[in-house]
Amino acid sequence: MAGGDREALARFYDAYAPLAFGLIRRLVGDPDEAADVLQDVFWELWRAAGEYDPSRGSPAAWVTVRARSRGIDRMRAARRRDEMLVPGTTEPLAAMADPRAEDPATAVSDRWAVRGALAALPDSQREVIELAYLGGLTQSEISLRLRQPLGTVKTRIRLGMERLRELMGAAR
Amino acid sequence: MTPAHERYDELAAGYAVGALDGADLREFQAHLESGCQTCRRALDGYGAALAATARELSEPPPPHVKTRLLARVARDPGALARRSRVVPVLRWAASVALAAGIAAGVSTAYLRATYEERIAAMAAEAAGLRAQVAEQTRTLVGLREQLAEQERTLTMVRAESAAQARMLALLQDPSIHVVSLDGLPAAPQARGRLLWKPDGGGVLITTGLPPTPPDKTYELWAIVGGKPLPAGVFTVDAEGRATAQVPVLEGATPVDLFAVTLEPAGGVPAPTGPMVLASKQA
Repeated sequence: MAGGDREALARFYDAYAPLAFGLIRRLVGDPDEAADVLQDVFWELWRAAGEYDPSRGSPAAWVTVRARSRGIDRMRAARRRDEMLVPGTTEPLAAMADPRAEDPATAVSDRWAVRGALAALPDSQREVIELAYLGGLTQSEISLRLRQPLGTVKTRIRLGMERLRELMGAAR
Repeated sequence: MTPAHERYDELAAGYAVGALDGADLREFQAHLESGCQTCRRALDGYGAALAATARELSEPPPPHVKTRLLARVARDPGALARRSRVVPVLRWAASVALAAGIAAGVSTAYLRATYEERIAAMAAEAAGLRAQVAEQTRTLVGLREQLAEQERTLTMVRAESAAQARMLALLQDPSIHVVSLDGLPAAPQARGRLLWKPDGGGVLITTGLPPTPPDKTYELWAIVGGKPLPAGVFTVDAEGRATAQVPVLEGATPVDLFAVTLEPAGGVPAPTGPMVLASKQA
């Protein structure tokens, strides 16, 4: 790799690695595993940068999407590992992702230590957004986990996302 | 938003945050593939909001990750081929973050993320404008071609119209001579009609002449005092028809009769080929 490449990648990494790492850490939990995923994410970004299209979103959005995707992959692999260690379980997958599943009323943001706009959402909306975005659960899994009708979960997700967009847009 | 689309607004929010599954996921993916721009924009907006959210959760990674990453990339066998496309993108992305970081000292991560979004949005907008200009240039070239085509048509129509006007003027002129020409053994089906004035030229109309061979032309002659004078050349169309302008025949009166011969292309000063049409008188 020529010096110019190295310096360009180093600067790019410095600019976006904290963003990616914060997200991956919340998805994966274990800091060593998160560091591992982070390296993979930037390796992929380096290899895919030629295909990046600025009209499809900011570099931050590009990095975020890839970081979350790899973080979710690692999280699911870990879940499958756990399942194999606990044969015969009938517990829904969703319940295994969070040991506090039996107490849906607990504020989940403790676990993910959320800040900023996410923390500013009403609890019912923040909860579903966190379970989906940082917990990697689908709407059906969230519905099971929270013992709420699927329609309610979908509505809360939509309201939460709209509110998040407003909060972020409000700074303009 | 229309009521019919309301359902997709909800699916878009779920899709953006990765929560869709089952039939909802399949339905929304199919909807996206159908090219819905409303949903595309919604996803872009949600993506930007999530990126800003993630920015607020930033944490410094352990230092060894960067060292290992750079070492790994140094061994990348495809690095050389990729460099020309990748390095400008990485530089630009880093500069976007740097520009966004200007606000870091004085404001929250919200604002920083927002700057970044705006810079990226401006870049996207510029790309869109470039595409629009290119599109309009293409349209303009197309319009120019159409205009040139129409000008060509107009020129032809004008020429036809001028020829018809001349013919009309001749027909309305009481001093006009109308001369009939009949086919000779070389072209028995041929007929001709010549409208002309000694001092104003005229028009020759023919039918039934054999098609003009490629290296030949038909030539009209005014026979004056037994001597043939050239009176214009013409070719016939696929149906054997022709409408030819006849020039003013200087000092060519009185004409005894008119005749048409087949001559080498371009015409000749004195007839050499077979005679195909001739009048009985002028």
